[in-house]
Amino acid sequence: MIDDEGKDDSTGSGKEKDDQSPSLDKRVTQPGRHVGDRYVRIVRPTGSGLRGHGGRWVATEETMERTGRIGRAWDSALRFLIGQRLETEAEGEERVGVATGLPILASDNISSSAYATEEAMRVLALAGTAALALTMPIAIAVVFVLAIVILSESRVIRAYPNGGGSYLVARENHGVIAGLVAASALLIDYVLTVAVSTAAGVAAISSFVPELHDYRVVAGLVLIAVLVIGNLRGVREAGLLFAAPTYAYMIAMYGLVAFGLFRIMTGDPPAPVAPPNPFPPDGTAPLTLLLVLRAFASGSVGLTGSEAVANGVPSFRRPETTNAIKTLVLMGTIFATIFLAITWLSTTIGIQPDIREQETVNSMMTKAIVGAGTPFYYIVQVTTAIILLLAANTGFTGFPRLASVLANDRFMPRHFADVGSRLAFNFGIVVLALLACVILAAFDGSVTNLVPLYTIGVFLAFTLSQSGLVRRWRRLRNPGWRFSIAINAFGTVVTGTVLLVVAYTKFEHGAWMVLVLIPLISALLYGIHRHYQTVHDALVLSGPDQHKVQTLPAPVVIVPIARLDRAALQALAFARSVSPIVKAVHVSTSKTSAEEFRKRWAQLDTDIKLDVVESPYRSLVAPLLKYIDAMDKSDDRPITVVLSEFVPHHWWEWLLHSQTAFRLKAALLFRPNTIVIDVPYHFEEPGHHTRRK
Amino acid sequence: MQPKRVLVALAGTSADPDMLRLVAAIAKSAKAEVIGIHVIEVRWNLPLDAVMEPELDRGEELLASAKKLADQTGLDLETELLQARDAAAAIVDTAVERKCDLIVVAMPFRKRLGRVYVGRTVQNVYVNAPCAVLAYRQEETR
Repeated sequence: MIDDEGKDDSTGSGKEKDDQSPSLDKRVTQPGRHVGDRYVRIVRPTGSGLRGHGGRWVATEETMERTGRIGRAWDSALRFLIGQRLETEAEGEERVGVATGLPILASDNISSSAYATEEAMRVLALAGTAALALTMPIAIAVVFVLAIVILSESRVIRAYPNGGGSYLVARENHGVIAGLVAASALLIDYVLTVAVSTAAGVAAISSFVPELHDYRVVAGLVLIAVLVIGNLRGVREAGLLFAAPTYAYMIAMYGLVAFGLFRIMTGDPPAPVAPPNPFPPDGTAPLTLLLVLRAFASGSVGLTGSEAVANGVPSFRRPETTNAIKTLVLMGTIFATIFLAITWLSTTIGIQPDIREQETVNSMMTKAIVGAGTPFYYIVQVTTAIILLLAANTGFTGFPRLASVLANDRFMPRHFADVGSRLAFNFGIVVLALLACVILAAFDGSVTNLVPLYTIGVFLAFTLSQSGLVRRWRRLRNPGWRFSIAINAFGTVVTGTVLLVVAYTKFEHGAWMVLVLIPLISALLYGIHRHYQTVHDALVLSGPDQHKVQTLPAPVVIVPIARLDRAALQALAFARSVSPIVKAVHVSTSKTSAEEFRKRWAQLDTDIKLDVVESPYRSLVAPLLKYIDAMDKSDDRPITVVLSEFVPHHWWEWLLHSQTAFRLKAALLFRPNTIVIDVPYHFEEPGHHTRRK
Repeated sequence: MQPKRVLVALAGTSADPDMLRLVAAIAKSAKAEVIGIHVIEVRWNLPLDAVMEPELDRGEELLASAKKLADQTGLDLETELLQARDAAAAIVDTAVERKCDLIVVAMPFRKRLGRVYVGRTVQNVYVNAPCAVLAYRQEETR
């Protein structure tokens, strides 16, 4: 409604004239100088950062800007490290295609080719150098399992295009417990991905910088910090940052393999390079089926990371499913070719692993093919180190996303679902980094120590999702369901068998920890869910009668007063505006001070009643709490405590005050049916007291 | 002339940033207050107080960017958004009401029929303003 008299009129939202609710949008009609000239002054909160838009207010980036020198400096540092804030609508632009998705989601799997051969060799070497001949058959078996996994995972992507991967498949088809087991397994595995990949990356660098070997834990922690910053910048930027090194690794490895094959085929086979600390040639253990199975289990580390694509389908541009499947197939092909070629070349040349992990098999093989100290040797080592670090990035992509899905389903704390300024799940990223740092330090940054913990989670999740899909196809009976069942049933058998082999052979080497942790984490997630469910049941508006906003009786307002000053009078005035039933209470440490306070109170021009509580033991908070309890028992009306709080200008001045109000607030926080209102009194400048609204 | 209060009419054209820099230089030396306004012209088939969201959004946006630019040049710019039938009348009326002694308007370099085109609003402000008017014409783009 327009007020032609030129009076203030909140008409922007069509409010009635007698509506006293405040409005941010005011329109004042002003008369002009000439007859008939009028114009409307639109008064909006310019400078607040709020912008009116279609009947609602939009908080612009301005509202996020911190004030004060420290705040602004912190903002600048954050913007420098993680970039400018992104609007929610920019999420579509943050999605990735196949070319960028490959380094983000597939680098873990592709990078496994750098150490999977060595891990299998290290187990076989226990039976002597002759046993290393079994490395190639084991590599073929691993690639066969990978093919089955990829085929099965492509069906997971088609069935669950919204991501969630194994957790969602297991939860929907086997029930909540199975879903939580799959989720726990994957969460553990993502943490291990970061720890193992970082350790492997540092190992690759220390192969040509041996001085780094003693500082591998510190180097690993620094690298994890770099990855955290990269990931806080958002999925797309992380992908763009990490795309070039991934492709550089692929080119370097294919180049190395091609040159190695060329040398062997042209009758110039490279001479083997001996490890700095070789395994005993005759071995220390007999070559048994168990040892071969253990070598296969260690080589299966190369299969980790293949679940990341199915979990991260929503990260892809449209058509998400097609792009995800393309990435999955590309990933498998690249891994298989590099892994098989490295294994074949290493065994053909006669490379042996180093017992102390001082130099990697890849490093020795590269030295043998292109020569130590050549530029190509350094290119291979550097790109290997970088891709191993990028593999850790797969953990940073998977863990926060899975944690956010779990948080949205109320199985994990809500903070995991919060989206940061760059549309990344910041809380999940930081928690993952901290856990990975702890594990890396606990296992002394050793790949071999960490690998036994690895792969169990992945294969447990694979088995649960594959068997879940079998149940799904049986239930839905879509066209071609028999074929789908056959694929996923075979996948279940293969991944289940690998799971049993890995669990059995690695049990005493550390796998038991994961097997203990999975049920514990599952129980924890379930416990969190039960808490959220209880809170939800208590808070949810169920019936139509609950949708009515009730009018409560005026509360009994208690105002604790330490001394009669401006802050106290402000609190009393506010209490009076809340309810007519106000009671002031003063806790006095002596009879004399109590009398003095009474006298001062009597001089005050107010009808508010005062109670004085004497505290001969000099405690302030405890007698006040007992007073509130007693008042609550004697009166049925709700209790409201109004606290006057003096707020100093500088943070350090806060330390100079006793902060009784703060302690009282903390004590009353968990007291049932008690409303606590804080009336701050701001101290502006020395010698000049002003009130801020 | 040492103005005490300057009114800057912001139309959202490419000439606005240059004009603001010029005003900042004048206001700083004269220690003058600066008020930046943007007027949304309302067509006659709409009520004067009609809520025109796209125009409001644009107006708020250009005032926000003007404020940002002013902050960068060390100018304390007070902004105001108006709605009127005729922008020139609202600019002049606001200048009178706020007791401004200088109105600054800008015009991008435009030609019509081979001559520089001043535009209706700038011309009407020139004709009707009781105070001094400074019209900033953008240089010819080459």
